[in-house]
Amino acid sequence: MNWLQRLIRTARMEKELDAELRFHFETLVAEKMQAGQTEGEARRATRHQFGGLDQVKEDCRESRGTLWLVSILQDLRFGARILARSPGFSVTAIVVLALGIGVCTLAFSLYNIATLQSIPVRDPATVVRIQRRSPANITPGIPYASIAYYRDNAKSLSAVMETMGAPPLVLNQDEKRVSAAFVSSNYFSELGAAAATGRLFDAAHDDAASAPVCILSYRLWQQRLDGDPSIVGKSIRLGGKPATVIGVAREKFASLGADSPDLWLPLLQHSYFIAGSKPITDPDFEGLIAMWGRLAPGVTSAAAAQELLALTNQLRKIYPTVIWDHEYIVVTPGAHYLSFDDGPPILAYVGPLVFLILAIACANLGGLLLARGANRQREIQLRFDLGAGKIRVFRQLLTENLLLGLLGSVAALPLSYLVLRIVLAYTSAPSWMSALPDWRVFLFTTAMGFLAAILFGLLPTIQMVRRKKNRAFWHQVVVCAQVGASCVLIILAGLLVRATLHTLYSDPGFGYEQVLAIDPGMGEHGFAPAHAQAYLDQLQNRLRSVPGVTTVSVAMSPPLVNTMIMSTSIEVDGHRILIYPNWVGPDFFQTMRIPLLRGRTFHNGEKNAVIVSESLARQRWPGEDPVGKLWEKSNNVVIGVVGNTRAMELNNTDATEMYYPPAADNFPGMTVLVRAAGDPNTIMPTVKAIVASVDTGLYPTITPLTTGFRKNVAQAEQFTTIVSLLGSVAMFLAVVGLLGLVSYAVSQRTKEIAIRLAVGANRAEIFTSVLRRFAWPVFIGLASGVAITAGLSQILRRGLYGISGLDPISYIGAMALLIAILVAGAMLPIRRAFELDIARILQSE
Amino acid sequence: MPIPSKFDLPQGTLDLLILRVVALGPIHGYAIAQRIQMISKDALQIQQGSLYPALHRLENKKILVAEWRPTDTGRDAKFYRLTALGRTQLRTETESWERLTEVVAMILQNPLGEAP
Repeated sequence: MNWLQRLIRTARMEKELDAELRFHFETLVAEKMQAGQTEGEARRATRHQFGGLDQVKEDCRESRGTLWLVSILQDLRFGARILARSPGFSVTAIVVLALGIGVCTLAFSLYNIATLQSIPVRDPATVVRIQRRSPANITPGIPYASIAYYRDNAKSLSAVMETMGAPPLVLNQDEKRVSAAFVSSNYFSELGAAAATGRLFDAAHDDAASAPVCILSYRLWQQRLDGDPSIVGKSIRLGGKPATVIGVAREKFASLGADSPDLWLPLLQHSYFIAGSKPITDPDFEGLIAMWGRLAPGVTSAAAAQELLALTNQLRKIYPTVIWDHEYIVVTPGAHYLSFDDGPPILAYVGPLVFLILAIACANLGGLLLARGANRQREIQLRFDLGAGKIRVFRQLLTENLLLGLLGSVAALPLSYLVLRIVLAYTSAPSWMSALPDWRVFLFTTAMGFLAAILFGLLPTIQMVRRKKNRAFWHQVVVCAQVGASCVLIILAGLLVRATLHTLYSDPGFGYEQVLAIDPGMGEHGFAPAHAQAYLDQLQNRLRSVPGVTTVSVAMSPPLVNTMIMSTSIEVDGHRILIYPNWVGPDFFQTMRIPLLRGRTFHNGEKNAVIVSESLARQRWPGEDPVGKLWEKSNNVVIGVVGNTRAMELNNTDATEMYYPPAADNFPGMTVLVRAAGDPNTIMPTVKAIVASVDTGLYPTITPLTTGFRKNVAQAEQFTTIVSLLGSVAMFLAVVGLLGLVSYAVSQRTKEIAIRLAVGANRAEIFTSVLRRFAWPVFIGLASGVAITAGLSQILRRGLYGISGLDPISYIGAMALLIAILVAGAMLPIRRAFELDIARILQSE
Repeated sequence: MPIPSKFDLPQGTLDLLILRVVALGPIHGYAIAQRIQMISKDALQIQQGSLYPALHRLENKKILVAEWRPTDTGRDAKFYRLTALGRTQLRTETESWERLTEVVAMILQNPLGEAP
C-alpha cells in the first residue's frame, strides 16, 4: 500500500485500529473478571492500565505514516475556517494576489499561445522551418531552385512545403486590398487541413500552365463576399487577373508562420498573378520563399540539418553564385505561431515588469500578514501554551498562506482568461487561438500561487512563530520593496505616456499631412531599372501637371509608410552613430518640407553626392562645415545639410539620416511622393486615374502619409496602454499595502496616541511621529526605484522612447504622485485614530 | 497513568522481541504482550502505548503482515506474522544483538583498570 491508498482507506484502517485495541481491552477485562472482579471493577482497572486510548491511536496513526497528509487536510480545514472568519482580510488578500498572479498568468498565456503551443495542424511535432545562414548573412528565405533540389534529394524530409508573401492585391474593383500568400500545392494536405466548402490545392495545381485558381480564407469569404454559398467555381479578379475560387479554408485553419493571409494562390502561378515576376525560374531571385518541411519518421531536426548541409555543398557546384560561403542550414520547429528565436526578447521586456507586479502584490500581502500577525498573537500564544510545537504552528500558518496563494491562483485564472479573450478579440488574432488555459497555464498559475505563498508568507510567518514583539524592521523592508517596485512601474508608465504624447504632438521634422505615397510595386513585377526609371519619370511628369499638386518626388524609403527600414552605422571616436540611409529624388526635401540648412540638394541624375542631416553632421564633424567633405572612404561628396527628421522611426530621436541620389538599381523599388496644396483627398481621384493609366499591368498602392502616421502612433499607444495599466495595478496594490501597514502601526500605538491627545498634543505632531518610521523606507524605496528605472530605461530606450530615458518630468511626476498617494493612504487610518474615544481606549488597557 | 515497566528497554529492543514472538506463528497483539510477559517471568510488561505503534510501524515496513481471523473465543482479532523480509530482519537483528551483548559483557567483566 502506498500512502495514497492508505489515505483512501483511512476510514477502514481507523475502524480496524479501534477494533484491534478494543479486542485487547476486552480480553484484559475478561481476564480480570475471570480472576473474580466485577465487570465494573475490571473495566475501571483496565482503563487505568491502558492509559489514554486516543494517545495510543494517535501514535499508531503516526507510525503508519499518513499522519502528515491527514494533518495537512486538517490544517487546510482550519486555515479555511480562519480565513472565513476574517472575510475582509481574506478578500483583500485574494484580490491582491489574483491581480499579481493574474498579470503573470496573462503574460504567460500570451507567450504560451505564441511560442509554446503548437498550432493546430496534423502532427505538429514533425513540421519544421528550414532557413539558410552563413556567418555573414541571415535571411528567412531560400531560393526556389535550392528548395526544389532539397525536395528532390533530401531523405530526412518526407515532404517540403513553400510559402511566399505577396504584395496586397486589389480584389475585383474594391478599394481595400487583400493579403495573399503563395503556397505549394501540398501545403493544405500536408497540414491536414479540410475545406469549409469546395476543395483545397492538390497536385493538379503543380502546373504553372494550369487554369489560375485561389482558395479563400473563411474570414475573407464571410467579411468581403458575404459568405456567398455558391462562391466555389466563381471567378474573382486579383490585381486585375481573373482566378477561379476552388474552395474556402476552414475558420480555424492555422497557417504556418505568423501571417494569416486573406487568400492563398498556387506558388507555381506566381508569375501569372504578379506579371513579370520570376521567383520560380530565376535562381538569383531575391524574393523571400519560406521553406517548410515534414521530418521523415524517426529523423531528428539535427539529422535533417546535417543532410541538408551536405546537399547545400552539392548545390554550390550547380549555382555557385546563389550559395553563400560557409552556408549552412538551420532546422527549427515550424508548427508554432512565433518561432523560439523570436521569443526571448519579448520575454526579456515583459517578464521583469510582470514579475514586479507579482513582487509588489506579495510585498503587500506580507505587510498585511505582519499586521494581522499582531492580532493573532493571542491565539498563537494559546496554542504554544497548549503544547503545540514550533514546527507544528509554523506548518499550520504556512498551510494557511498556501491556501491563500492557491485561492489567489484560482481567482487569477478567470481574470486572465477574460482579459486574454478581450486581447485576442481586440488584436484580431487568428481564430484558432483560444484563451482557454491549457495544462501549461494551469501548472504555471499553480506554481505562481505557491511562489507567492512563499514570497509573501515566509517572513511574517517566521516572525509570528518566533513571537518577536518588534516587527518594525520587517515592516520597513516590506514598505521599501513595494515602494521601490511601484516606483519603477509608475515611472516607466510615465515615460511611455510622455513618449507617446511626444510622438503625437511634437514636430517630426517633416510635413506629412498633405502627402500621398504611391508605391507602384515594380520590384515584384520584375521591372528592369531602365523600364522602372521611364515609368517613374512619366508618372511624375503627369502628376506635376495636376492642379492642386505642388511638388512630386521619389524615395526608396518613404517616411511612415515604408515596409522595410534600412539602417547602418559608423563609429566616430569610439561611439556608434545610427544612420538611416535613403535614396531620394531632387525634390524630396521640398515635398517632405525638410528644410535645407546648408549647401544645395541634388541635381537630376547627379552621382557621387550625399546630403546629411544636421544631427549626423554635428556628430561626424563637430564644429566643422561638412559641405565639400568626402563621406567615409567613398568618393561621395557632402553637398548639403538638411534638418533632422524622425522619418524612419517616429520614436527614435537618436537616429541620423543620410540621403543618396537614386542609382539605377534603386528605381524598381521606388515610391512616388505627391504633395497637395490642400487636402490630399481632393486630388486623390485624379491621382488614381493617372496611376491606373500609366501602366495597366501595375496596381500601385496609394496611401496618405497620415494613415501611416496613425498606424505608427497606434502601436506606441498600445504599448503605453499596457504599461500604464500595469502601473495602475502597481499603484493600487501599493496603496492597499501601505494602508494595511499604517493601520497596523496606528493600531499598535492607539494607546500612545490617545494619551498624547488627552494631554493636548498637536495632531500634526502625532501624525509625523507615527509616520516617521516609514520615511526612510519610502525614501530608500524611491531611490532604488529611480536607480532601477534609470538602468532599465537605457535598455528599453531605443524601442520605446521619443524622449530621454531620464526625462525629469516623468521621474519627478511619478515620485510626486506616489508620495501623494502614500500620504493620502496613510492619513486614512490615522484620522480614524483621532476620532476614537480616548476615554474608552485608555480604560481598555 | 501507565504502569512503569520493571526496567527500560533499550531503543529498538522491543521490535526484536516482537519479531521473536511473532516468529513462532500468527499471533495477535494481546497475545504478544502476554507471551513476552510470560517468557520474561513478569520482568517485562509491554505497554499498549508502545506495542501497537511498534506493530503498525513494522507492518508499514512490510516486516509483518496482518490478517483478521477469529480467536478461540470466537471474536475477530488481528493476527500478525513475519514476512520473508521479517525473517531476514529477525536473523540479522538477533545476530547483532548477541554480538552487542557479548561485547558489552566482555567490557563489564574485565576488572577495572587492567589492560587485557
